Amino acid sequence: MEKSLSKEFEVNSSQLKEIRQFIRDFTKSSNLLKDCQEDIALAVTEACQNIIKHAYKDRLPTTDKIKIEINLSSKQIIINIFDRGISVVPKNIKPRKLDDVKPGGLGTFFIGQIMDEVNFVTNKKENWVNHLRLVKNI
Amino acid sequence: MTYKVNSEGNISIVYLNGEIDMDVADKAKDLILPLIESGKEVHINLKEVTYMDSSGVSVLIESHQKANEKKNKVILKEISKPVLKVIMMAKLEQILNIA
Repeated sequence: MEKSLSKEFEVNSSQLKEIRQFIRDFTKSSNLLKDCQEDIALAVTEACQNIIKHAYKDRLPTTDKIKIEINLSSKQIIINIFDRGISVVPKNIKPRKLDDVKPGGLGTFFIGQIMDEVNFVTNKKENWVNHLRLVKNI
Repeated sequence: MTYKVNSEGNISIVYLNGEIDMDVADKAKDLILPLIESGKEVHINLKEVTYMDSSGVSVLIESHQKANEKKNKVILKEISKPVLKVIMMAKLEQILNIA
């Protein structure tokens, strides 16, 4: 059984709750995901938060959108997140060391803890600037 | 996120409720840090917090560090399961004061 859904959201922190609800509504419809629904909502929220904070640093407000595509199969859930902010240089994205306790820098670490694959896709679809692909094996 | 603050002597008890993300983290920080600055011991009750991400965790870290600077304490009380999960994921359970 395969299932897909996509939706666009404004680039604004007020949308994060709606993004989580979108993810929860999708994942709760599958028994396969019952143990990781909130983890996936957290990972996607962190990814979108990074877009707002970093890819749209000094570019807000904007009429741009963030697009989220979810694809569920019997083996994995794949979430593609697209934006048109500042182009991300993947090698520059590093979570902070956990023993360096300070506010910030944990979002990327949480995404990496939750998802099995996290990568920026260079072969971009349509005219999106950044394409983050998150995969969780079920 | 909603909140309530009670005072008992030199202790301020902050009850947070709902989801704490980037959109409301500054509201939580603006609530908690002035209490610490004023010299109060602050207890943050997290029983009714249903979601917290890295932005919320940053508020807890900043509060803890500010209290240390002031030679005072921030104590986390009745931590809900979703909040405990992110605290443990960030390996902060030995660093933050948890009651």
